[in-house]
Order: sequence, then structure tokens, then C-alpha cells
Amino acid sequence: MKRAPYPIEPDTSGKNYWRSVDEFEKSPSFAEDLKREFPEGAAEPPQGTSRREFLTIMGASMALGGLAACRRPEEVIVPYTRAPEEVVPGRPLFFSTAMPILGTAIGLVVETHEGRPTKIEGNPRHPESLGATNSFVQATVLDLYDPDRSQSPQEKGEARTWDEANAFLRKLGDDAKKKNGKGLAILVEDHRSPTLAAQLDALLKLMPDARVVRYEAFGRDVEEEGARIAFGKALVPVYDFDAADVVVSIDADFLHNEGSVVKNMRAFAGRRNPDRKDKPMNRFYAIESAFSVTGTSADHRVRVQSQKIPALAYALAQEIAAAAKVELPAEITSSLGGAAALDPQTAKMVKAIAGDVAKRNGAVAIVVGRKQPAAVHALVHAVHRAIGAVGKTVKLVRPLDEIKSGPAEIGALAKDIESGKVDTLFVLGGNPVFNAPADARSAIAKAKTLIHVGTHVDETGKAATWHLNRAHTLESWGDVRAEDGTGAIVQPLIAPMYGGKSDAEILEIFLGGTRKGYDLVRASWRGAQSLVADFERDFRRALHDGLWKDSAFPAETADLDASKVGAAIKAQKAAAPKGDIEIVFDPDPHAWDGRYANNGWLQETPDPMSKLTWGNVASLSPKTAKGLGVADGDLVNVSANGATVTLPALVAPGQADGTILVTVGQGRSVVGRVGKNIGVDTGALRASASFHVADGASITKAGGTTKLSRTQEHFLTEGRPLVLEASFAKYQESPQVVPPPKKYLSLFEERKYDKGHAWGMTIDLSACIGCNACSVACQAENNIPIVGAEGVQRSREMHWLRMDRYFEGDLDNPTSVSQPMMCSHCENAPCEEVCPVAATTHSPEGLNEMTYNRCIGTKYCANNCPFKVRRFNYHDYTKDTIEQHKMQMNPDVTVRSRGVMEKCTYCVQRINRAKISAKAEGRDRLRDGEVVTACQAACPAQAIHFGDLNDKQSEVAKRAEGPRGYKLLEELNIRPRTTYLAKIKNPNPELEGA
Amino acid sequence: MTTAALQEDTPGKRAPLVLGHRDFNAVTETVAGIVEKKTTPSWLVLLGLAVSVLLILLGSLGKLVAEGLGIWGLNNTVFWAWDITGFVFWIGIGHAGTLISAILFLFRQKWRTSINRAAEAMTIFAVMSAAIYPVFHVGRVWFAYWLFPIPNQMSMWPNFKSPLLWDVFAISTYATVSILFWYVGLVPDLATLRDRATTKVRSIVLGIFSLGWRGSHRNWLNYEKTYLILAGLSTPLVLSVHTIVSFDFAVSIMPGWHTTIFPPYFVAGAIFSGFAMVVSLMVLARKAYGLEGLITIKHLENMNKIILLTGTMVGYAYAIEYFIAWYGGNEYERFAFINRAFGPYKWAYWTMWSCNVFSPQLFWFKRIRTSIPAMFVISIFVNIGMWFERFVIIVTSLHRDYIPSSWTYFRPSLFDISTFLGSFGLFFTLFLLFLRFLPAVAISEVKGVMPQADPHAGHDDHGHDAHDDHHEEASAKADESEDEGDEGEEASDDAEKDEEESRG
Repeated sequence: MKRAPYPIEPDTSGKNYWRSVDEFEKSPSFAEDLKREFPEGAAEPPQGTSRREFLTIMGASMALGGLAACRRPEEVIVPYTRAPEEVVPGRPLFFSTAMPILGTAIGLVVETHEGRPTKIEGNPRHPESLGATNSFVQATVLDLYDPDRSQSPQEKGEARTWDEANAFLRKLGDDAKKKNGKGLAILVEDHRSPTLAAQLDALLKLMPDARVVRYEAFGRDVEEEGARIAFGKALVPVYDFDAADVVVSIDADFLHNEGSVVKNMRAFAGRRNPDRKDKPMNRFYAIESAFSVTGTSADHRVRVQSQKIPALAYALAQEIAAAAKVELPAEITSSLGGAAALDPQTAKMVKAIAGDVAKRNGAVAIVVGRKQPAAVHALVHAVHRAIGAVGKTVKLVRPLDEIKSGPAEIGALAKDIESGKVDTLFVLGGNPVFNAPADARSAIAKAKTLIHVGTHVDETGKAATWHLNRAHTLESWGDVRAEDGTGAIVQPLIAPMYGGKSDAEILEIFLGGTRKGYDLVRASWRGAQSLVADFERDFRRALHDGLWKDSAFPAETADLDASKVGAAIKAQKAAAPKGDIEIVFDPDPHAWDGRYANNGWLQETPDPMSKLTWGNVASLSPKTAKGLGVADGDLVNVSANGATVTLPALVAPGQADGTILVTVGQGRSVVGRVGKNIGVDTGALRASASFHVADGASITKAGGTTKLSRTQEHFLTEGRPLVLEASFAKYQESPQVVPPPKKYLSLFEERKYDKGHAWGMTIDLSACIGCNACSVACQAENNIPIVGAEGVQRSREMHWLRMDRYFEGDLDNPTSVSQPMMCSHCENAPCEEVCPVAATTHSPEGLNEMTYNRCIGTKYCANNCPFKVRRFNYHDYTKDTIEQHKMQMNPDVTVRSRGVMEKCTYCVQRINRAKISAKAEGRDRLRDGEVVTACQAACPAQAIHFGDLNDKQSEVAKRAEGPRGYKLLEELNIRPRTTYLAKIKNPNPELEGA
Repeated sequence: MTTAALQEDTPGKRAPLVLGHRDFNAVTETVAGIVEKKTTPSWLVLLGLAVSVLLILLGSLGKLVAEGLGIWGLNNTVFWAWDITGFVFWIGIGHAGTLISAILFLFRQKWRTSINRAAEAMTIFAVMSAAIYPVFHVGRVWFAYWLFPIPNQMSMWPNFKSPLLWDVFAISTYATVSILFWYVGLVPDLATLRDRATTKVRSIVLGIFSLGWRGSHRNWLNYEKTYLILAGLSTPLVLSVHTIVSFDFAVSIMPGWHTTIFPPYFVAGAIFSGFAMVVSLMVLARKAYGLEGLITIKHLENMNKIILLTGTMVGYAYAIEYFIAWYGGNEYERFAFINRAFGPYKWAYWTMWSCNVFSPQLFWFKRIRTSIPAMFVISIFVNIGMWFERFVIIVTSLHRDYIPSSWTYFRPSLFDISTFLGSFGLFFTLFLLFLRFLPAVAISEVKGVMPQADPHAGHDDHGHDAHDDHHEEASAKADESEDEGDEGEEASDDAEKDEEESRG
């Protein structure tokens, strides 16, 4: 873009210098000349074109136009006229912030380049992150730059200014105050903000007749309900998996999409480390219907329909009580009744689990998932108490507020809207018209005055009387408390791009105040934080550190209400399942509850199990699919709750027979350009009465087939030694569980890497569960484009780091492993030998480097790559990058054009950045841990380590040379720099061979 | 072998290479007539067809350059498919021309004379068709010249370790030598045309290109030497070009590619496919231009014998690959070969076997070997089979390699197909132009193998009426012809070996 000079008015105050005699004489021809850029005749279009002239001009334009098109785009670099403090162009700044997620909050450190947030990392100080993140957090930065975000307040679809919106809000607030809030309802998300909670409290004091309802499509409502049954109040169980010798999952995906997943992952993976000295490896039993990511790391897995799991849980509770010789309260024992009819194999498993649990002296964590009824949650509270796990592995803390949530609450709200009891609904975030239970969602849209606060005009925004554009988390001031109460300040990284406001700010206006987000947050912490001695200092410290020190809630003690638990179990038992077929609902692995539907990174991030992208399916067990006569991609009609939805089927090994896994969140109708026409809306199947599991469902073959966009089509290792496994017992006997490294001879002179650094990586397959955090982090760090559903169908996805999934064993009940795979930076790299133009070469430090501007795209390197980790730009994926998305791009990484090869660089830009700072400090060597790759930083399980193999004291060298380390395809003598550490499992010896 | 066949090929007396009791003038008239006569409507129709197909190629390539390789069906597992298949296919076809013109020349196989010109032209056009792919299959065509070792401001040389670079040298050498060889052979005939020219322009243009040929002894002496030297230069190229092409695969580490058998296997396959293509083209050309007397059944039969031989060699190579895959004990290689025969691309694999190994076996029967329709059909089958051979090698090896998670299935896109189809447009356009504007049969060489050219064949009907400059060659032939004669019996053997044995 060429910039025209500013129109400068002639300054007549000084001396008049003339440029020519013509000017001096003020001749009209000079005035004319001044205006024109070219001499006469050159810029005027010819008048009265004849045929001949027309052809002349067209010919010339064609020729010259073609030439002009060859020019590289011109860019103007504008320097700061007044440089902002601390901003050095080219050097990133890091700020701590936090965001709510999954009913907890995670501390973040955000990298910004010249004021643009480009990459999200976890905050190492924050207990919920410890430096790691997950795929959704990683992708949040892309949401910030989503060009389809709403850009102004809207009244019935018409754009309005914030002044108009403010006037409306104030009037609405004043009216509501006059009516004591009668007819007003506020629907909030699981926001975790103490400021917002305090505001809502204040609101309820001002308007006692108003009501506040919390709703999350995949929240913690069942867990809360379970605690209410057991303790009479909503207490939150906080698990410490580091203390648990045995972990039992009862239908809980606690490492992937339920609860404090990042924190859980770290602690859990810490106990999966067979080399750990202070604490032995834990043992993990999973009881679940669908094969979850968490389930893949189980030592023993029971696959059983979700609707049958309660019976199993009851049996387990009894067995545990018997084996541990502890007494459950009599009311509970009586309600559990006699031994449930379990098949012998399951019964054996339950007995073994109970035996194992009993041995551990309370160092046991039993985690119950949201798909299980509240009675099971309550029962597990009782079991935890009985075996002495409370205080050891489970801590109970108070919730953020007492607001009730769940399908029943929003169902009641919907009824009140329909009956007219509620006429004004204030939706503070969320998209209930899309993801509320089927029986509630249409009613929400019918509210007389519906005010929607959101980053997008979604289904709710479209139905709303007023849509208020919400500022993104990275644009607003706020605060959050994690599950355990740890507080953190949410600070903006960039001014709101479209002038949006945060929930708290909007509520402030509604309540008649004028304070901005910053003041609201400060006010809230100034008052509430009893720990504060010097507020200014502590606030700055909290901002800097990303958390309020020692702000976690204290552990609560509460008495178990055994009679209520017993009654709940009896009630649960009485409600027998309606049929053999059940639907279990999970959040969509791409769109979550619909909120990320317009996020291209997440849409293209493969489902960890099925490797499906860009859409949703009905997952069936192989047996169920066979019974129906359907294969992958065949359409099926899934019916429940009086509704039928047609979905493509997907055969999911390891799923319980008769269970249909359906994800909710795709098929958005009012959505931006990315999420348009992606997937099927399955919300109609999900009624408030059967919110997480719909029993009595049915499924039929619909006829017809669609092509599924999957990144992996073959899930068997074909007996190849790709993922090596061993049992913990065997590992303890003799740690050399993998074939010892062999020395192969090379025809060529071997390159020496004994001087300087030798970069290398280790990937611990014991820790990795395949959650994709690394893959999305890599995408964010390295400007990796997305290719769309069609691109995935043609196997052209660009992920530098892909997550391979393999199944092993019985098709119906297999075990599964995941293996992150990226460029191994082979020392004898086969790609380098075959590139005719030497575009991929070796660095002295052992990196296999790609020189994009030398690459002509013969693709020979990729053909010769045994790992197939090279990615080719088949189209110009970045040419049409939208302006907003350009702001997300990492300036340290080249944006690749069409026709060149690309692949993992071991984050060479991070290595170089670290080297520059080391040099500035006068060091010629980097210290261990100074370079952290994007994947390594994101990994919640700390499965990835990176560093200098020449430094024998480095973590990576120790791991690589450890007994579990092995190289893939070692016999090719390509000498990969990435070492995989064999997966160690810890099966129960009693169940061996079962 | 049937008794009839034995009787026909009586030892000591060989079948004449030119039929129809022609004299030298008749040969000139027949061949030059094609060039000098008015354009026939049928030729125009054929050219129109060929150019239409050529336009498909140009359109496809235009779109390819405008949009990128994404318009093809390639993916991030199979990075080469129809492009390199097409490349190897066309390069292979070219080989027959060089073999016929160079190796058969050195072995004094006289029967080559009537087909060598067209075969050489075919070589050049095939190399041109082949060259489309290495150029256009790269992601950034506009930088394809970086493949050449041109001194530049970056002081960057290409990577001399890369087989693709060897390819560049091999193909460019091959193209250069083939064009030179073809052109040198054309000079006497161009002079003939020049002398017969009726228009000024024609005589000037042909005058330039015939390099002042006067038909003098010195001209002939220099010509024969040059031709012999070029034949000597081309001969190793027949072996080296496809050897180097096979290195693209053999040097890699992909199971199914990394095999030492590839060089001889590729060369045999190339000759096989090239001869099949020559048969297909000659069958059509001799019919269209009435060249039955010059390109006789004998010629075609000889080529069919070579097809039978090389087809059997190719079949042997297919079999030995399996043996090595089993004997070598490399699990990845074993899998690659099992996957070829029984995996998702088994249809391609068995098409290859049927076309390349089974169908030429019919040439054991003389009746089929000498039947025009049968040989035409089989030659087409062989060409299809050889395309599939390259497809099988390239795609089935890549689509399931070391790490099963990246296994995929390649499907061609419309533009894969149109680009390949279009390359036939280029080939046939050039071939039709050649047939129309240049002598399709080497006039001077054919005259040299006619009985009239043999001074010792005076007892023959057509004696000494017009022999002039060919007596050296002709006498050489006469000397040898006494030693030959058992060729007909060993119909399966290749001509070269036969010749060698008889000399030794």
C-alpha cells in the first residue's frame, strides 16, 4: 500500500520561495502542473475511443498490467514517533493474565509483539497451569482476532453506538430497580470472577426479585448436586493426583475435558513416571462407556454403558468397604442393597479394584464424571470419607458462589419465560439459544427483552433485542478464581479491538455505575482480600505474578448426610433405564459447546481418539455398528427425546456396546465464516431430563454416506516397533525394556557434533495421553495454516506436530496409545540427501533446517522422509489471510508461501532468541532449560523435553540416555535426534491375563 | 514353432527388408511424396484432434501455475503420483528410439532402417512430453531453473548428491544427443527434399537445414563417421538415462523404492514400452501413408520379438523383487510388496502383470506376432501396463510406508488426468507435424539395404540400375549376411545377442 502524502495547506506566514517562473507569475498552467503527477496526456483516459485506439490501449494495458502484477507488494514501515515504554520492535513482551475454563481458571503468560498478543503460554506460578495449557487455551488467541466477532452493540440487528447501548442499559437498570427486579433474570456462565460474583450479589440486594442462573452446557452441575446431597451444600472436590497411589475413574474424562484438566494432567503424569524415586507409579482404573482420552492411560479399563455404571459403582463401594474393612454409613449400605448382577469378568475387575484401593491406606482418588448421576457422586464422597482419602487426595473447598446451575435451573427459567414470569433476560455470555437443553432453548429466544452479551452475534445474539459486543478475555480487565480459590487478575493485552466491554463493565452500567473494568477489579480485591497489607504493592505483585499469593480457599469440613445419600441412591436405582441404547453427550472436541465453532485451529485439531476434524459424528462400538450394518461415514438416524438427528457414524473401538457418543457444539446456524455448514446440531437430542446421558434412545441406518475428514486412516501399528511398552513390574526387574541402541555403520564420514550444542528432544510416551495441546501450541507459534475440511480429506493438513493414535488388541476392547510425531532432525537426514537445490540442510548444532526461499518444491524430501512429517504448501494457504489474523502471526517465524515444503524446526526462533540473550550476557553456551519449545511449554504432562544432548547434565540428555529411550526406525541409521521413552504401564498383577 | 514359420525363415536366405519390387526412385517418391503432396484432410482432422488435446495440456498447466499443485490429487503422504509416473512413462517410451537408431545400428541390424527415423522422432517428442513433469511438478515453477548449476549471486550450487539433479543432467544430455543424432541422420534426406523443392522458400529453408549436402564421397564419409560416433555416444545413454531415472527411487530409503534391481529393470521396461509405442505408431503410419513395403511385417515381427523378450525380462524382475523382499528379511520391504499385490492398489498391480507379463507372451505364436490387429492391441496393452508399472512403483510404495498413521489412499484429481492426457496431445501434435513435414523413413538408409544396393547380388532381378554411394555399406551387409541366417529359428532371442553369437 502506497501512502499518499498528506495534503499540506500552504503556509503563508514565512518567506515565499518560488519554484519556477511560472509559479512566480502564478500562471494557471503551473497550478495545473502542480496537481498532476504525470505530464499532460499521460494520465488522461483517451476520449472517444476508436476501435484501433481501444485495441492499442487494451494491448498496452495487458502487457503493462502483467508487468505490474509481477511486482512484490509494497509495504510502508512506520516507526514510532513516540515510542511506547518498554516496547522494542522485534522483542516480545510477556504479561501474565488468566482465563476461566471448565469451571476453574488457568493462569497465563501471553507473548505480545508490538502490542499484539500472539501466543498464550501457561503461567508457571499458577497452580492450575504450572506453565502448561491445553488446546482450547492455546487457540483462544485466534478467537481474539476472529474477524467475525461482533463489532458494535446491536439493537434487533441494527448497529448502535455504545452511547446508545449505555442509555438503554441504564434505563433498563433503573426500571428494574423500580420493580425490585421483578421479571428480570440474569444468566451467567461459569465465569469464576469474584468481581462479577460480588456485582451479582449487589444486584440481588438492589433487586431482590431478580434471579441469577448459571448455565454451562458442560459444567459441573452434577458434581455440585452430588456435594449438595452428601453435605447439604455445594462443596467442590479438589483432587491431588500426586498423592493418589490408585486412581479410579468412574466415567470421568478428568485429564481432558472435565475439571482442572491441566493441573490434573501434571500431577497424574508425575505419578506415571516410572523413574520417580520419591513416589512409585500409580495404578489407574477407568470405568467408562466411550473410550476417552483419560481412558487411554488406564492400566485397566472397563467398558460399560454409562447407564449401567451406577450399578457397578454401587458394587465397587461395597467391595471397597469390605476389602478395606471400613464401614459405610448404614443408610448407604442398606441402599446399595445386595450384590448387583455383574458379569463375572466385571465382577472380578471390581473385586480387584477394591482390593487395590483397600491396600493404599487412603491414597486413592475416585473421580466421578458428569455423565454419572448425582447419587454416584454423593456415594463417592462417602467412600472417600470412609477410606480416609479426604484430606489426602481430595480436598473439599467452597464454591465461588451459591448460584445454582444445571439443566433443571435453565429449564425452570425457560418455563418462567414462557409463562411470562420473566420478561427480561440478561445473558451475560454464553449461547443458550444454541446449547441449552432442547426443551429450553426455544423458550430462551422468546424472552420479551433479551439482552445478549457476547463476542459474536450467535444464535442468542440474533434472537436478542440488544446484543452487546463483549470484550475478549485478552482485551479486558477482570479477575478469576481457580477451582481451589486461587485468585488471579485478568489484564488486557490489547485495547478492545471493536470497542467491546467486559461482563463486569456492562453490569456496572446496568447497575448505574460508571467505573471501568480496572477500577471494578481493584475495588473488588481491595475490599475482599484479607491478605492484603499494602494494596498497591500487592496488586502490582498479583499482576506481575499472575496470581494472588495464598489466596486458595481453605479446606472445608462438612458432615456427611448419609440418609440423603442413601435416599438418592435408592431414587437412582428406582429410575431404571428406559432401553438398551443410550446416548452419551460430550462437548465437541473442536467447538466445545459451540463457542469455538468459528476457530479454524480447533476445527482442524483432530479429535484425540477418532482423528476427526471439521464436523461431528455418532460414535458406535464396532459391534453396534456391525449390528446396524454401518461403516465409517454412513449416515444414521439417532433419536432421543422425541427428536431425530441424522449424523455420520464412526466406528470407535473400545466403546461400550449400545452406547452412542454424540458431541454437542457443531452445526451452528448463526456463526462466522469458518464454522458455517460444519457438522450437525445435535442439541435437539439433549433434554434437561436426560442431559448428559439419554437412555431409551434409538438408532437406525439412514442410508447415504458422507466423507469424514480424518487426519489418520490407519490405527494399527502392523506389528512395527513404533510405540514400545512394558509393565512397571518388568521395568523394575530390568529397566532395559527397549532394545539397546545399536551402532550402525555409515558409508559416509560421520558428522561430529561434539562441539557447541547438539539439540535434541525426548518424548515420554508414559506421560503423553494425546490431548493435542502441543499440536495447537505449535500451530500458534509457527504460523501454521489450516487447510479446511476438503484439505483434510485430501490428507493435506499442515500440522508440524501430529498426534498419532494406535489401537492394540481386541477390536471391541482395545488399548490405545498416542504418539506425538514431528520432525526428528535426523543426523543422517534422508531428506537432505535428495533435495536437488540444497534447500534443506543440516546446521552445525544438528538441526535439520528448511530454507523456504531456496525451496522449489520438488517434494522429494518428503517422499524420502520415513516419518512423513514434512508438509507441503499445495495451495497458497496464507495469501488470503485476513488482516486481523495477520496480527496473530508470530513475527519471528516466516509465513510460508505456496509451493514450498515446511516442517518442525525445533522452534529454531526460540533457540536463536535464547542465544541472543545469552550472548548479550556474555555467555557462549545456553543453560539447560533456557530454550523451551512451544510444544514442550504447552504439554500439561511434561512429556516433551528439549535441550542440549552435549550437556550430559541436561534433563534431555539424561532422559535420552535412560533405559527407556529408543529411536524410531533406528535400523535405517538415520539417527533421529528425537528419542521416545517407552510407555510403562502398571497393571494389577491379580488381573494379569484377564 | 510351427513348420510354416520354419519354412518361411529358411536359413541362409533372409526375408527382404523392402517389399514391393521397388527401385530407388520409388523409395524416394514414396517417402518424399508424403512431405511434398498436398495436406490430406485426414491429417488435418488428426492434427486438429491432437492440438485440441494439447490445448487441454496447456490449460491444465496454466491452472497449475496459477493455483498450485493443490489442483492435483497429491497429499502429504503421496507427494509424487501421476506426475512422476508420466515422466518415467514418457522417458521410457523414448528409449526405443535410441535403441533402434543407435544400438541396432552398431550391431548392423539392417532392418532398423525403415523405422529408425520415426523411432528417433518419437524419442525426442517423448522426452519433450516427459520434460513437462519434472518442470511443472515443482511447487515453484518459476524457480525451476535453480536445478541447473548456473553461477549466481548466492554462490549456491545445486546439491550434487541428489538423484533429481542427476536426472537433470541425464535428461538434458539425452535430449541433446537424441536431437543431434536425429538431425544428422536427416541431413541427406533433407538434401533430397531440397533438390526436389519446387518453391524458392522451400529450397532455401531446406538448403539451410541440409547444411550444404552435396552427396559427395567426402560428405558421405564424414556423415557415416559422425553418425557412427553419435551412435556410439547414444548407446550408453540408452542404459544410463533410465538407470539414473531409476536412481530417483533406488537411492531413496522408501521400502519398494530402495532396490538394487531397479537400473536393469527400468532399462528393460523402458525398451519394452518404447518398442510397444513404436509398434503402435508404425502400424498406424504405414497404413496411413502406404509404407507397407518399407515397414514390412518382418520389421514389426522383429520388434514384437523384442517386446516378448523385454516383457519377459520385466516379468522376471517383478518376480525377483518378491524373492528379494522375502529373502532380504526386511519387514518393511516385505510389507511393501505384499501390499502391492494384495493391498488397496492390487487392481493396479494386477493390471500391470496382465498387460506387461501375460499379454506379450502371446507373441510366442508367430500368427499373433505377425498379425497387425493383434500386435496393435498388445502394444497398447503394454503401454497401459508400463504406465501402471510406474504408478505401482511410485504410489503403492509411498501410500503405505514406515509409519502407519500417515497411510493414505491417493486419488487422482481431474487435473492429474487432464495433464497426462494432454501430454499425449503434445506428443501426437509433434509427431503429426513430423510425419507431414519431414521424411518419416530414412530414404538414404533404406536404399542401402535394398537388394539393388548389393553389388554381389547381380543375379537378382533388380540389378545394378541405381547403386551409387552405398556400395560400402551394401558390401558390408553382404559380408555379414552369409554368417547370419538363424535368426528366424530363435524367434525369442534378441537381435543383438544373436548377432554377437554368430560373430563369435
